[in-house]
Amino acid sequence: MPGPIRGQLLKGTTTLLVLTVLRDGELYGYEIAQRIRERSGGAFVPSEGALYPALHALEAGGALDASWRDSDRGPRRRYYKITEKGLGMLEAHAQEWASFSLGMARAVGGVER
Amino acid sequence: MNGDRLLFTAYIAGFVALLVASVGLLITAYIAGFVALLVASVRLVRRSEPRLDGGQFPASPRASEIGAGDAVAAYLDRMSGVLRLPAGDVAEVRAELSDHLADSIASLEAEGLDRERATREALARLGSADELGRHLRHAHQSTRRLLAGVGGGVVAGTGGVLLGYLGAMAVTVAVALVLGLAVALLTALLTAIGVPFPDLTYYRTEMIAGSLAIAAGTGTRFAIRTSAGLSRRTPRSMAVPWAIALGIGFSCLAVFGIRGPQGWPDVIVELCIPVVAVAAATVQIDRPMPHVGRWGVAIVVISVIGIGFLFGAVGSASPMWVQTDDAWYMHADIAGPMAPSAWLPETGLSSRIGESGDGATQARFVLNTTTTPIATALANWHDIRGEAWHGTLGLESLDTHYSSPFAIEPADIQNDAIVASFHFDLMRHAGAYWLFLTGVGPDGRRYVLSQGGGGVASFYGSVWDWLTATQDWLTATQ
Repeated sequence: MPGPIRGQLLKGTTTLLVLTVLRDGELYGYEIAQRIRERSGGAFVPSEGALYPALHALEAGGALDASWRDSDRGPRRRYYKITEKGLGMLEAHAQEWASFSLGMARAVGGVER
Repeated sequence: MNGDRLLFTAYIAGFVALLVASVGLLITAYIAGFVALLVASVRLVRRSEPRLDGGQFPASPRASEIGAGDAVAAYLDRMSGVLRLPAGDVAEVRAELSDHLADSIASLEAEGLDRERATREALARLGSADELGRHLRHAHQSTRRLLAGVGGGVVAGTGGVLLGYLGAMAVTVAVALVLGLAVALLTALLTAIGVPFPDLTYYRTEMIAGSLAIAAGTGTRFAIRTSAGLSRRTPRSMAVPWAIALGIGFSCLAVFGIRGPQGWPDVIVELCIPVVAVAAATVQIDRPMPHVGRWGVAIVVISVIGIGFLFGAVGSASPMWVQTDDAWYMHADIAGPMAPSAWLPETGLSSRIGESGDGATQARFVLNTTTTPIATALANWHDIRGEAWHGTLGLESLDTHYSSPFAIEPADIQNDAIVASFHFDLMRHAGAYWLFLTGVGPDGRRYVLSQGGGGVASFYGSVWDWLTATQDWLTATQ
């Protein structure tokens, strides 16, 4: 089984991954990182140092709403929630990614037109 | 409609109303515009202030609870040093990352790592503290937020100037009233001559300029702190560009914009306006603004209405003129010997002082009867001119400290009058004055031809006009 994808290949995908996992509900930062890891079967290990700038940039851009509240399983945490704008952004990014990955697969080989 | 849109609508409406008012001079639009800006400004400040204050996000104790406090705190301190965000944002980021590290360390410990290794690994996963701080700063300080900060700062600053000006005027008028009434009551008690109403208009320029200085300070702080809060920058980093912009703007206002009666005290107070603005931008700009509640705004609005009534009751400043029939009673001999009656028209000359259309003080000397044309009546006289002499403050007499007139103007012989015009409004030191008509008689000596008329004048114009006014007006006009 190939190891986790890191570094350059993950650059630019953090936004898509964050928006994807937040589509299912509100999460806080650490949970978002864990959820991405789980959903990708350990293939994607987002850099935690890149995660928070991405979350804050998405919040500043209006794609996410953030609020502090008590967690069900612990102390007060900062929860992120996707907004309508964020859902639109997710759709656009997902289409871009689908087109990109298909193109890459064709270029690298293995997928016929 | 959410709060942001309402706020945005309020301040756009405010500016539009002011624009409409400026074009059409509509008082209702002015009032609506100012009220909208005032409300938007106070709301913007109240929204920005919590972000500039880190008190609402105390550092998370979880990292220290799990025994990783020192390493985590050192990492967060280093990252915070690079952030350069408002205190509220810094505290929020620290709390969030602190929680994240506590979760991460706990998870790594559950995987079998000891505390020290778990802490090292958790910090390593976050990467370089400097790099994380830089990336977070860029995430917060977007161009969109900067534009919002500048726009919000302009609105909050405008409202701050308005609020500061009205508040200062309310306080100034209240203090002036109390002091004025106290002096008046004391005067009444001592002399039993009644209680004169304090003439607030006498101090009009100082009051306006003083209030504007306070307004400049308030507006500057409103603008800087609001723009810092909205653009996610520290007030200190926003202070310099605002200080430069507002310093230049208020300097122009102080030097060219304010026109009114001027004297050295007025000029000094007016020049304080940009100084106060720059000081407000630089001195303790990190200090939180005082809370402005709806009651504060209500008190200011009520006070302003009171000021309106008060000025309506007092009226505007108007020049005071006096005439006298007995020139010698008030040391008029300083101005020269009275013309021998044999050389004067039998009926004599009277003086009347008034204002001409261009702001000049005009002395008209007329024959008491109109049977003879004035040119004929004064045919033996030449070099007839008007002379302005300093008077005592209460216009009781000429000021005996002076031995020459401070202004001389040629007299024009018109149909039934001789007219001399003086621009005391352009002279720095006119003050109390007496005007005489003089002329050179058949014996070659100069005599006073008529009784005097006096008044009190003040320089009228901007600080620039004051500073560039001709120093030696007498020399310039002779």
